[in-house]
Amino acid sequence: MTRVVPVPQHLDHLSVDQLAAGLGPWPPEERILVDAHATEWASPAGFVALLTLGQALAELGAPTPELALPAADGVASYWAKAGVLRDAEKLFQVHGKVPRRRVDETSDILLPLTIIRNVADVMEIVGRLTEHATQILKHELELEPSVVGGFGQSLSEACQNIVEHAGTAGWVAVHVYVYRRRLGGRKVAVIAVSDAGIGFRRSLDATQSRRFGDRWGDAQAIETALIHGVSRFRDPGRGQGFAGIKRYLARWEGKISVRSGTARVAIVPGWDDELPRMENLPWFPGSQVTIVIPGKDPAA
Amino acid sequence: MSTIIRLDIVLREAVSTPYRDLVTRPTGAAVRHRVLTVLRDTGDDDAELDFSEVGLVDFSCADEVVAKLLVATLDQGVPRLVLRGVQEHHADAIEQALSRYDLLVVAILVNAVQPRLLGAAPDDWRTAFGALDRIGRAPINPVADALDWPVSRAADALRGLTQHRCVVSYPDETFAIGAVA
Repeated sequence: MTRVVPVPQHLDHLSVDQLAAGLGPWPPEERILVDAHATEWASPAGFVALLTLGQALAELGAPTPELALPAADGVASYWAKAGVLRDAEKLFQVHGKVPRRRVDETSDILLPLTIIRNVADVMEIVGRLTEHATQILKHELELEPSVVGGFGQSLSEACQNIVEHAGTAGWVAVHVYVYRRRLGGRKVAVIAVSDAGIGFRRSLDATQSRRFGDRWGDAQAIETALIHGVSRFRDPGRGQGFAGIKRYLARWEGKISVRSGTARVAIVPGWDDELPRMENLPWFPGSQVTIVIPGKDPAA
Repeated sequence: MSTIIRLDIVLREAVSTPYRDLVTRPTGAAVRHRVLTVLRDTGDDDAELDFSEVGLVDFSCADEVVAKLLVATLDQGVPRLVLRGVQEHHADAIEQALSRYDLLVVAILVNAVQPRLLGAAPDDWRTAFGALDRIGRAPINPVADALDWPVSRAADALRGLTQHRCVVSYPDETFAIGAVA
């Protein structure tokens, strides 16, 4: 038997909930078919989540899941360009014509989908944030050099969370978009990071769960790390990553949204309407972090 | 005398990377251990950490390379550590890291004329530091006069800065930012 898990038409960090809802009980008792044939658009958060699902199933030793590629013209080709299919073919049995397009770092893809396994990968990712990408951040998003520096710092810290806390590998992708509805046509840079690891709650269980008693759960664990800067390590210098990212985002009206297990917690700027805390969501493996940095407001 | 330690070179030696970014905790720890080895050989000299050729410094690496280095050198007899060639985004990360430990360091930023205090400093300390930078080596009274402060207030600020190794205190009861400035 195969369980069909539909991928939403628009797959982003919020509609991952719909993907999760299709999974049913975990670990799955049937083979999974991830059906993206009707998918027309996916954000980097959607891409990294899809691969996280494949990786989580592989680590369970479950039968290799299937992935039906998007049918709409150009969509699968974009997935290839963004680096998704290169890795999806290792985790899924892919159905549909796989475009043999080179992974590309063009104006909208600052960092194609990239695996993070260790510290060397994080150094490589930050180092690869090329002059080309830096120029896009400076000229298309009109970010000041100091803002571009903070972007790299945030990228580094988000990727390090995987190495430090997940206990397994993860994925990162960075794209540039135009936010027409929410920001009146301003460009934004989006960093999406996801892993199939132990999640925030398990990472903090040993040191934090007793403090919170019955209130302890996925949402509280994310808040403890993200809002209060608490780490599972007792070293006073720990917890710098989220603290630094938050400070940077507060200065530039950026947003961070963290999903882990059955909860999502976000620090939401005035231009967005995401709910700051969501609980009892359908369970999804590991942790997902999405960071949005708006370009300069032309009216400012 | 000041020993200048180029962090881009230490980074290459520590982790043999083609990149010049100080990122990740293990990288920072490896760089710190190398710097400490150099400092052990400097005796009583001041030391300058040179960031001029460093690309990015993330928050975790700032903690490992600067904050934990300052803590470690408290017991090592290094009179003073000063940072130079620091860019604004380096300063942001370093400032955040030092604030967690209540530490301070003097930094010379790229294209800046005056040295800056990075870390958690009371306003009085920053003001006194700026005054001493303008006046040059001086006892407490001229600093107090320049700021129109009671002598005790200036003394508290200068002694606090001395304890944090951001100001040099001489046996003749004068204070100075020091040669690095």
